Amino acid sequence: MATSVFRIFSRFKVKYNLSNSTSIFRNNVITTSRRNIHTTSVQKHGEYEWQDPKSEDEVVNVTFITKDGSRVAVRGKVGDNLLYLAHRYEIPMEGACEASLACTTCHVYVHDNFYEALPAPEEKEDDLLDMAPFLKENSRLGCQIILSKDLEGLEVELPKATRNFYVDGHTPKPH
Amino acid sequence: MKSIITKIKPYSDIPGPKPLPILGNTWRLLPLIGQYDVSDVAKLSSLFYQQYGKIVKLSGLIGRPDLLFLYDANEIEKVYRQEGPTPFRPSMPCLVKYKSEVRKDFFGKEGGVVGVHGEPWKSFRTKVQKPILQLHTVRKYVEPIEMVTNDFIQRMTQMKDSNNEMPKDFDNEIHKWALECIGLVSLDVRLGCLDPNLSPNSEALKIIQAAKYALRNIAILELRFPFWRFFPTTLWTKYVKNMDYFVEICMKHIDAAMERLKTKTVKNENDLSLIERILAKEPDPKTAYILALDLILVGIDTISMAVCSILYQLATRPEQQEKLYQELKQVLPNNEPLTPEKLNQMLYLKAFVKEVFRMYSTVIGNGRTLQEDSVLLGYKVPKGVQVVFPTLITGSMSEYVTKPQEFKPERWLKSNIEEKIHPFASLPYGYGARMCLGRRFADLEIQVLLAKLIRSYKLEYLHKPLDYKVTFMYAPDGELKFKISKRNE
Repeated sequence: MATSVFRIFSRFKVKYNLSNSTSIFRNNVITTSRRNIHTTSVQKHGEYEWQDPKSEDEVVNVTFITKDGSRVAVRGKVGDNLLYLAHRYEIPMEGACEASLACTTCHVYVHDNFYEALPAPEEKEDDLLDMAPFLKENSRLGCQIILSKDLEGLEVELPKATRNFYVDGHTPKPH
Repeated sequence: MKSIITKIKPYSDIPGPKPLPILGNTWRLLPLIGQYDVSDVAKLSSLFYQQYGKIVKLSGLIGRPDLLFLYDANEIEKVYRQEGPTPFRPSMPCLVKYKSEVRKDFFGKEGGVVGVHGEPWKSFRTKVQKPILQLHTVRKYVEPIEMVTNDFIQRMTQMKDSNNEMPKDFDNEIHKWALECIGLVSLDVRLGCLDPNLSPNSEALKIIQAAKYALRNIAILELRFPFWRFFPTTLWTKYVKNMDYFVEICMKHIDAAMERLKTKTVKNENDLSLIERILAKEPDPKTAYILALDLILVGIDTISMAVCSILYQLATRPEQQEKLYQELKQVLPNNEPLTPEKLNQMLYLKAFVKEVFRMYSTVIGNGRTLQEDSVLLGYKVPKGVQVVFPTLITGSMSEYVTKPQEFKPERWLKSNIEEKIHPFASLPYGYGARMCLGRRFADLEIQVLLAKLIRSYKLEYLHKPLDYKVTFMYAPDGELKFKISKRNE
C-alpha cells in the first residue's frame, strides 16, 4: 500500500514540474487545453486512470480475470483506458507499445454481451489482433477499450497461456 | 515428456559461408573479388536460404557481430515475442557513430529512435510515439497530404511527353513528393520540392540532393567499405557533412514552428500539428529536432521506393488496377476530397499495398540483436548475435502463405478465410515496441497517392519488364516511364 501511495505522489510531482517548465505555454495553450486533454476520451497518458472517481455517477465496475483464473474487481470510471487502469491495480497486462497500436501484449477476451457494447475495432486494431496468440471471437486490445457507463460490470479475461512479451512470472510495473 | 527434449546443437554447427582467416567474410562483399554483389542483398538472402536452409550464419564480418538469417515464421514470432521491454534493433552503424561520437555534443543522451537502444531509446520513443502512431493525429494529415499529392499529380501532367509518358527519371519526382510530405509532417513546412523551376541555390534543391545522398550510400558504407570505423574515409567525411546539413535544416524549421506556437491560441490539443504537440509537451526543442531528423532520414527512400514498386505493379497488372479503380469510383463518385472515413472504405487499395509488400517487400528484412542466449531451430544462439528476419523470403514461402507465387490482393481481405497467411511471415513494418514509428504516415501517404492518382488516371507501363533490385531498398531497377491517361468519369 505504501508503495502505491508513493507512486501516486511521485506522479503528481512529475506532472507539477512539467507544467511549470512549459512556461511559454502557460498563458495560452496549457491552461486552456489541459482540461480538454484530460477529459477527451482519446488522449490518455495513464495519469487520468490514477484519479479516483469523483462521484458514484462516474464509477464503472470492471472485473479482470487473470491467467490463474482469479477474479479482481476494480472500480474504474468513465473515460479510463482499460490498459492503464489495469496497470494502476497491478493486473499483469503488458502494453509494451504504450497504446500506440504496435503490439498485442494487452490482448484480452471481452466476456458476455460487452463485446457487442464496444465500438467496433478500427482496421489497425484488427490487423494486430490477427497477430495475437490464441485469438478468439471476443478478442480485443485492452488499450483500445475506453470505459463508459454502458460497460458497467465489464468482465475481461487475460489469455491463459500466452507466449507473451515478458518471460513468465514478470509483472509489469506502472511507470 | 522426455521424448520432446532433443539435443540442443551448438552455435558453431549453424551452416553458412565459411569465413576466411583474417579477412573474415567482408571480402565476400567487396566489389570485383567478392562473390556477392552488395547491390543485390535480396538475391544474397535468397541464395543463403537455398544453399543452407532455414537458419544461416554469416560470421567474420569486420567490425560487426555475426548475422543470423532466420527463414522460419514461427521462430521469428518467438524472437519478437520475447524481445523484452527495450528491444534492440540493429541499424545503420554509421548513423550510430554519427549520433554517438561525431555529434555527441548535439545528441547527448537524446539519440532519437534510429540506431539507439536500451533506456535512451525507450525514453525518447515514449515521448514521441503516442502522437505519431495514434490514429487521431494521423487523421489530421489526410487533407494536407492530399494537397501535396494534388500538386504532385498536377506536376505529372506537366511532365508527360508526347506519348503521355513520364520522364525516365520519374523515380526522382516520387522522391521529391515523399520529401515534401515528410517535410510537412516532421517540420510543419512546405519545403517546395515540387516546384518545377527550382534554382540551384534553393534550399529545396539542396535538401533533395542531400536526401538522395544520405541513404543511398549507407549500404556501401556499411557493407562494402566499413573501413570508416577505423579511419575517416572520403565517403565518410561526405556522409558527416551531409548529416550536418540535415541537422541544420531541422533546427531552422523547428525553431520557426516553436515561434509560431508561442503566438498561437489553441483551445484544444486537436488543433495542434504533430510537431506542435511534441513541442508543447517537450519544451526542449531538441526532441523535435531529433525526431524530425530521424523521420526524414528513414521516411524518404523507404516511402518513395515503395511507391515506385506499387505503381509499377499497378501499371503492369491492368486487371487489378481496374478493380481498384472501381472501388475508388464507388467511394469517391465525384472525385471529392478525401476524409479518414473514405480512406477506411478503400479495402482493396489497402489489400493491394499489402500484397505488393508481401511479394516485393521494399524493406527486405528486419532484425533484432538477441539480448539473451536463445535456442532457435534447435541451435543455441548466444546473445549479441544479430538475427535477420528476411520478410521478402518468408512472405513467399508456401508453408506460411497459400499459393505464394500468385499475386492476389484478395487474400488480405477479411472475407477471405480460405487462404492462410502466417501473421509473422510478411511484416514489412515489424512488430511490437519497436515497430516502425513512421508506419501510419507511410501508410497514409501511400494510400492518398494511390487514391488520387488511380481515381483520375489510368496507368500503363509499355516497356521492357523491369527487374527488382536492392539499391538500399528493394524496388524495380530502371526507368519508370509510366503512361498516364485521364479517366473520363
